[in-house]
Amino acid sequence: MKNILQIDNVTKSYAKKKAIDGVSFCVPEGEVFGLLGPNGAGKTTLIRMINQITMPDEGMIYFGEDKLSEKHIPLVGYLPEERGLYKKMKVSEVVLYLAELKGLKGLEAKRRMDFWFEKFEIKDWWNKKVEELSKGMQQKVQFITTVIHKPKLLIFDEPFSGFDPLNANLLKQEILNLKREGATVIFSTHNMESVEEICDAIVLINSAKNILQGRVSDIKQNFKKGEYELITVSSQIEKVLPSGVEIISKKEDENGIGNCISVLKIPEGMNADVLSSILKQTDIISYREILPSMNEIFIQTVKSGKQQ
Amino acid sequence: MNKLWIIVKREYLSKVKKKSFFVLTLLGPILMTLLIVLPVVLQESTKERYHVIVVDEIEKTVIEGDTISFFKGKFKSNENLLFEYSDDITEAQALLEGGLCDAVLEIANTNDKPPIKSFLFYGENEPGMDAKSDIKEQTKEIYKNSVLRVDYNMTKEDIKIINDPQIDFYTKDIRTGQDSKAEIKTVLGAVLGFVIYFFIFLFGGQVMRSVGEEKTSRIVEVLTSSVKSVYLLFGKIIAVALVGLTQIVLWIVLTLLLIGGVSLAEPDIFSAPEKQEIQVSQRVISVDSLDLTQEKDNFAQEIGETIRSINFPLIIAMFVVYFILGYFLYASLFGAVGALLDNDTDNSQFTLPVTVPMIFAMICVPMVMNTPTGSVAVWLSMIPLTSPVIMLVRIPFGVPVWQLVVSILSLLLFIAGAIWLAAKIYRTGILMYGKNLSWKEVIKWFKK
Repeated sequence: MKNILQIDNVTKSYAKKKAIDGVSFCVPEGEVFGLLGPNGAGKTTLIRMINQITMPDEGMIYFGEDKLSEKHIPLVGYLPEERGLYKKMKVSEVVLYLAELKGLKGLEAKRRMDFWFEKFEIKDWWNKKVEELSKGMQQKVQFITTVIHKPKLLIFDEPFSGFDPLNANLLKQEILNLKREGATVIFSTHNMESVEEICDAIVLINSAKNILQGRVSDIKQNFKKGEYELITVSSQIEKVLPSGVEIISKKEDENGIGNCISVLKIPEGMNADVLSSILKQTDIISYREILPSMNEIFIQTVKSGKQQ
Repeated sequence: MNKLWIIVKREYLSKVKKKSFFVLTLLGPILMTLLIVLPVVLQESTKERYHVIVVDEIEKTVIEGDTISFFKGKFKSNENLLFEYSDDITEAQALLEGGLCDAVLEIANTNDKPPIKSFLFYGENEPGMDAKSDIKEQTKEIYKNSVLRVDYNMTKEDIKIINDPQIDFYTKDIRTGQDSKAEIKTVLGAVLGFVIYFFIFLFGGQVMRSVGEEKTSRIVEVLTSSVKSVYLLFGKIIAVALVGLTQIVLWIVLTLLLIGGVSLAEPDIFSAPEKQEIQVSQRVISVDSLDLTQEKDNFAQEIGETIRSINFPLIIAMFVVYFILGYFLYASLFGAVGALLDNDTDNSQFTLPVTVPMIFAMICVPMVMNTPTGSVAVWLSMIPLTSPVIMLVRIPFGVPVWQLVVSILSLLLFIAGAIWLAAKIYRTGILMYGKNLSWKEVIKWFKK
């Protein structure tokens, strides 16, 4: 798979503190890529370098095949965590101005603005001043300014903050639409649920360093602990389990049918043995592998990083 | 470059479209005119004259059959003071207590020689400073004249010559034969210096606020992801300059229209005085013909004359040069300061270093006006941070070419440095929030 962005051993310091320290990773084209990390890990610094707001002290950033340079600016769209527009300007003027700065010509910019205004049902607002809009409305306008020039690479820093659930969902659908249309999305967030839902791959930054990266499915596989959830009709399973299998928890189904839900830790390669032995005792209603959530992986990795 | 103009366009339009711009542009000249005209009108229409009753108790003298009273009937009433006379002090004081006049001036009859004792009694209305000194001066003058007339037997004509010895005093430039107009040059210089000071602060402040607004509204993060941050800073500086230019041009046009209206109504105001040739030890010198019956020169005529004698093309050229250079110097510094502003920090620590040199220059203006070729004036007119103001004060008096060259070159050099410095501070500062931003922190950026 082609990479749209390659971060190669990038370092950036402020005064004496290293904000980013020898970070390398690749962002595959056409995917949603999660840039994760706790507060102050260096995500914003990294995003600013990708946006060419600041330059790396060391290392290189490549856009496709080329070194990142000014000509790539129109190809990138950026929604910062701290939103802001000119409060005294009219909505349409702000949108057109920011579109022009991204290299869009007047008429084309206007056509696309109309398209988005219609889509987000804010057409009536074009002649209002930004300060007259509600916060949610302003967020929508800012989202439009991020995507209006059809960038190949989109960078969303905590895009859902400040949106109500309805609009957050709308936004999520738009992000997935953009992906479908071929755009690559870099998605920085603390919201691990949304990472599971929309990210294909991630990198986890902590204390200026890259501590975990890969495809979400691979990472989950790597972090699995060999735990399985088993639902059986009878709760009498202990006796039949082969040795080496550990019962981590067992409880009655809360729905009141009386099924038993157990969590088992099963060594690799013993799945078939376990299932066949249990089947001799009782019926199995469901059996599935428990994969760790991104939330758990995040906490676990960051914590273990701290202990080191 | 294309993006720079997009930025300039937005900045320009958004500022010109503001209501405050429209109001200021339109009302500026009108307010100026009103400021000049209103006090005069108000003074004439509402001022009540300060009413003084004079009681002269000095014994009358008789000369050649005339009874001469020292003070009675001698005070001159004017637009501020009204004099009346009484012979009875108790009656006069009763009038004062009854509120029928504002004050009673008693000139006491003392038997001994001078000083003459005089008392100004006042009731509810204490005399102002002007009224008090006017009454005092008139008293002295009248006493002097009376002494000259009575004790020294002088005629009225003699006294007139003593009081106004009719000397025409000319200060001439030996190279050109032109009259020196130091007073008017001083005023012109001070006005030019102040105008530069005022506009640099006005427009520099606009750049600073505008930068600060983009920072606090956080839109700067999106902007810097689209354009180089120096473009943002210089787009703003250029746009504010253009806005200022627009405003000044409109002011000039409107003011000229007003002046045009005035000169249509009073065509003689700017007419030239006649010249008169005088023979002075075999040389002929031209001077203004003085109308000896007229006590005061026509002030308007003098201004007209001076305006023609001053090297205006040079002054205008230098005004434009120093205005533009001074603006760019201070606007870039103000822009850098704007990038450091934050709601959370103490902002005056950032603005002070930029405003202090300008304020210092303004404080030095009176000194420079008095001695425009003194060493302080010369140095300050060549040091970049103060030169835009100080040089303008000096220029009407004539400045050696080398000093102008040094001053402008050093200013240009300093601007290059200031722009470099401002761009660097701006780039870093614009993305810094909170974090105990201070000059100490800023210095660290340069050490790296």
